[in-house]
Amino acid sequence: MRSLVFGASAGLGRALARAFAARGHALVLLARDERDLEAEAKHLRTVHGTQVEWHAVDATDPAKVVQVLASLAREPPVSNLVFPLGMAFAGDDGALPLAATVALVNANLISVMATVGVFLPAMLAGNLGNVVGIGSVAALRGRSNNVAYAAAKRGLESYFESLRHRTAATGVRVQFYRLGYLDTQLTFGKRLPFPLASPQPVAERVARGLGRDLGCVTTPAYWRAVGVAVRCLPWPIFRRLKF
Amino acid sequence: MSEARPWPQAPTARRRLITMDGSFTADAALQRPDRYAFLSAATERRPAIARGAGFSFAAASFGAGAVTVDFTAFDRILAFDAASGIVEMEAGARLGALFCFLTARGFYLPVQPGHFSITVGGAIAADVHGKNPAREGTFLAQVRSLRLFHPAHGMVEASTTQNGDLFRATCGGYGLTGVIVSARLEAQPIPGDTLTLAIHPVATAREGAERLREWSTTHDLVYAWHDFARPGVEFGRGAAIVAKFSGKRGVRTEAALRPSRFSPERRARLPLSLITPWTVRCINRVYSMKLRRSEGPTTLAAALYPTASSEPYLALFGRSGFHETQAIIPDARYGEYVDELRALVQRSGVTIALGVAKPFAGASDHLRFTGDGISLALHVARDARASAFLAELDRLVIAAGARPNIIKDSRLPRAIVETAYPDYQQFRAALRRWDPERLFRSELSARLGL
Repeated sequence: MRSLVFGASAGLGRALARAFAARGHALVLLARDERDLEAEAKHLRTVHGTQVEWHAVDATDPAKVVQVLASLAREPPVSNLVFPLGMAFAGDDGALPLAATVALVNANLISVMATVGVFLPAMLAGNLGNVVGIGSVAALRGRSNNVAYAAAKRGLESYFESLRHRTAATGVRVQFYRLGYLDTQLTFGKRLPFPLASPQPVAERVARGLGRDLGCVTTPAYWRAVGVAVRCLPWPIFRRLKF
Repeated sequence: MSEARPWPQAPTARRRLITMDGSFTADAALQRPDRYAFLSAATERRPAIARGAGFSFAAASFGAGAVTVDFTAFDRILAFDAASGIVEMEAGARLGALFCFLTARGFYLPVQPGHFSITVGGAIAADVHGKNPAREGTFLAQVRSLRLFHPAHGMVEASTTQNGDLFRATCGGYGLTGVIVSARLEAQPIPGDTLTLAIHPVATAREGAERLREWSTTHDLVYAWHDFARPGVEFGRGAAIVAKFSGKRGVRTEAALRPSRFSPERRARLPLSLITPWTVRCINRVYSMKLRRSEGPTTLAAALYPTASSEPYLALFGRSGFHETQAIIPDARYGEYVDELRALVQRSGVTIALGVAKPFAGASDHLRFTGDGISLALHVARDARASAFLAELDRLVIAAGARPNIIKDSRLPRAIVETAYPDYQQFRAALRRWDPERLFRSELSARLGL
């Protein structure tokens, strides 16, 4: 079993790579910085004795991502795709310059779609595998604070919905995790209204969920209530909220 | 190689940090980087200090206006060679993770501090000691090389043969030369598949010291526990605790460590100290009964990490905390020192909650805690009487030609360190040669004038 983790060098991606390695998966790690990838790959090989291939890629450049993926070793075939990557900008209030908007949508959405596009035919042919999307509760209802980010993540959710439909009659399983606040660099030091979840248990949960037809899962569980509340707020109230 | 961006630069939290002994609190700017891009040379620099588990009793990882760099995300084990026992890891790796990794392969690090949550970087920076420093030396004895980051120098390799001066100043340098990024340590095959603990009651501290000297050459773990609670009755009564490996060498052992969420904040949860002369007597009674029953086979984890099992004891000191003071007393002066200690305890009315002695040997260098003699560590509850007592004890330490432990004693004054450590000025100068800006600083370095 070989698993590809896109965004593997920090936070949830690192925890996922470790959870998979502990289960004996061979790994393909993708992230921006080769120094981080090299260190993580050494750790996984030394501690778990697993086979690790890594490539430094820039998720804002999907064409380059596809090019790198074409160079992957053919064996063993990649049967799990996991996408714990995300990119957010401060000042994402609807007036981002074009380059920033393109980079943001590329990193959060297009590179994921491009990667799935590379592997899906073989997975369908083998009638086996998992595609795991990682979304955000931030996409539940559009807000002025992260206009483009939420749009990209909402797009991702729609894409995974379609993907689940496409693979419904096959052995390929699609899972989509809508995550609340995670204790990573993205949230570090911020004052947030809800507690942070540690990436490790989330990673364990994702690893346990492989092979199951879960659809969309919101985790940690209390975010389901938050989600319902946020979506049900009547517009006259919602419009006044600043968050 | 220098970039225009300032260092350190990562998302920043304001956190109230507290030392393990509860003596010092400060609001610190805390960063917790997890990518190597953080370790980029920079021309614009701010004072900083690295932090591992934050378990040191003295404020070595915050204070003095420095940005605290929590390095625990750099926790990867990078390589292991079973032929040489050399293991390479990032400095934020915890000793417990390393213990599980190594013992599963039949190896271990003989020199380890009392708690498995402590990081490799912290153990190097404080040059901690283990359970038989007379034979095994300090943590330094296991360090083959390290990589250090300083924003003015970038990433630098250091060992006894490469950048030797920097290596000397970094091992036991309290984090003041930069951020220790990774290290190569030499692990040893586990000497036997059975570790047997023996308890030898002693009537006095003097007798304890004699036993420690005798057994430090023949045993793998050697220390003594003393009951100093009552200066009038059986002062120093206790036991020498020794353990020895036997059986097959280099065998994989069961590597189960109890998970621990212990932290300085958790230790300080009780609003009131429950340490009184009466509770100390009870604790000592219970502990000495427990000791007697603990004879026989023990686990390596229990023997290496005794602090992990005394978490509830440390919590009894509550929010106001405790003082630990530890000094290496030359063998010839030890008996006399303990006599003076007894007189001082009687005069000052403090209650010594814990006394632990260990045999030491080795030449001190810079501000590393080693030397020839017997180290005696004492715990007292932190109150007004304790401060006066410890100031008096400082005088006894100097008079005995002893050396106090910098990382454990959070109130150690600069004058005492300057007198007790002949290399004080030399270490201070070495820091300034390497880093004229003196960028890496903490409450510890500010208090000691480093």
